[in-house]
Amino acid sequence: MKKMSRRAIVQALLALPAMSLLRSRPAVANSDEIAPDEIAPGAIARDEIIEVNGWILRRSDLA
Amino acid sequence: MIFDSHEAYKQAGFKPKVCILGSGPAGTTIARKLGAAGIPVVVLEAGSREFSDQSQDFYRGTTVGDFYFDLDVTRLRFMGGSSNHWAGWCRVLDKQDFEPKAWAPDTGWPISRADIEPYLGEVHDILELPAFRPDVPISDDIRWVQLIKSPAVRFAEKFADELDRSRTIAVVLNTYATELAGDGKRVTGARLWSSGQDAGTFTADYFVTCTGGLENSRLLLWSNRRSNGGVVPNAAALGRYWMEHPTFEGGNAILANYGEFEVDASNEAFFSPTPAAMERLQIMNFGIRLIETPYPNVKRLIADLACTAPSMAEWMSDQLEQRLRCAAQLYVAWEQAPLASNHIELSKTDVDHAGVPRIELHWKKSPLERRTLLEGLRLFGTTLAQTNLGRVRIADWIGNGGDYPTNEETAGHHHMGGTRMGTDVSKSVVDANCKVHGMDNLYIGGSSVFCTSGQCNPTTTITALACRLGDHLSKVIAV
Repeated sequence: MKKMSRRAIVQALLALPAMSLLRSRPAVANSDEIAPDEIAPGAIARDEIIEVNGWILRRSDLA
Repeated sequence: MIFDSHEAYKQAGFKPKVCILGSGPAGTTIARKLGAAGIPVVVLEAGSREFSDQSQDFYRGTTVGDFYFDLDVTRLRFMGGSSNHWAGWCRVLDKQDFEPKAWAPDTGWPISRADIEPYLGEVHDILELPAFRPDVPISDDIRWVQLIKSPAVRFAEKFADELDRSRTIAVVLNTYATELAGDGKRVTGARLWSSGQDAGTFTADYFVTCTGGLENSRLLLWSNRRSNGGVVPNAAALGRYWMEHPTFEGGNAILANYGEFEVDASNEAFFSPTPAAMERLQIMNFGIRLIETPYPNVKRLIADLACTAPSMAEWMSDQLEQRLRCAAQLYVAWEQAPLASNHIELSKTDVDHAGVPRIELHWKKSPLERRTLLEGLRLFGTTLAQTNLGRVRIADWIGNGGDYPTNEETAGHHHMGGTRMGTDVSKSVVDANCKVHGMDNLYIGGSSVFCTSGQCNPTTTITALACRLGDHLSKVIAV
């Protein structure tokens, strides 16, 4: 097996939660359409858009 | 009628009312419009029916500033012009592209999109297009836009028989108009070069230069110098405000559902900012091309991984004996801010075989454009994240403020500006009817009249403007 760089491993670890999220949740056409009772406490803070290592993510992607 | 030389043409005794220089999309379209109106028109084409190195050599030049393509590669000098290597992408400039942007000086056209819309039916026939479709907003900031992959009409191939049969249109090949002569009110003639030698002077009541988005400036700069300002009396903007569509790979994406966006036959979808987003962020227009590679199942997982951990993905691809790449690439092309400093000059040291100075192109991308690239990708990425349609990764060099790569697309081979349209003679060369300011019988066709570039490929707008100019000239001449 080729030797992997630490950077590649970190990138993969960073992205895996996002990939998992994308595969396990149905697409939401518009985030405004989420009913209030579906929003867990702290969800608004978690869904802040953040930029990590070039990725544009929801904060909850990293949870 | 098509003549292979100026000598053969002279023997025919044809008496044109209008002389068009160049047989590309603009020149051919204007000629067909005039011919259909019964107006005798001659089209002088510098090249022949086919590509030749000898003809192409007249297009050599130099670029100062940012990396750009060789000037004898980025355009073609034979019948049909640069339609001969056109990729076929079609879209008309957006309504807002014609309007001034308060945050970008010297934007705005003296005409609106409504002025060219009456000609879009003809454009559909000429370019063999399906119906245009409205944009589809996917957020307040981003809209899906239609960019049609057309059959890429080669104007010479498509219209050669029609032109050859015409009794009102004469196409003269291998005949290079090296300069126009003028007295500050009218063009009085064109100096010709044919079969490797001076071929005398050509006269007509009207002249239309359609030699391309680089060559129109060169021809008029040289003509103006030779006639002491008698061809373009208001020349402050001549050769200036030159524009391209810089194009670079901007990153990649993981999509939640690879069938979410409508894609074309090449699995490509296109996105642009809304006018409100451009205004809020004070950026130029841009187009993001999302290219999907529709891998199934495990291959797709590995392809997604290639976005984030290319080394690991490569190893996994090797195990599958496959060559998988990230499942969605993002390319960004954007509108350049029109800057007078981006301009065409005549070389002080180098001339072509006919003695005409070659082009020295001065071209640099501006900080506003760099911000457009970064903020555009952020807008798109934010939209995908907010709607949970996917996630975007911006390429390192963009996020880190690195240099533009020189091993990528670079630009669209779209040569715009140099003889821009306007009402202020200090900042434009032609009026709203594409007539050179102060001249009674000189008009310009093609993308050199563009005031701004928008984000989309120019041929559709070039063809619409050519239909409009053809109609206008027909009416002027009929009076």
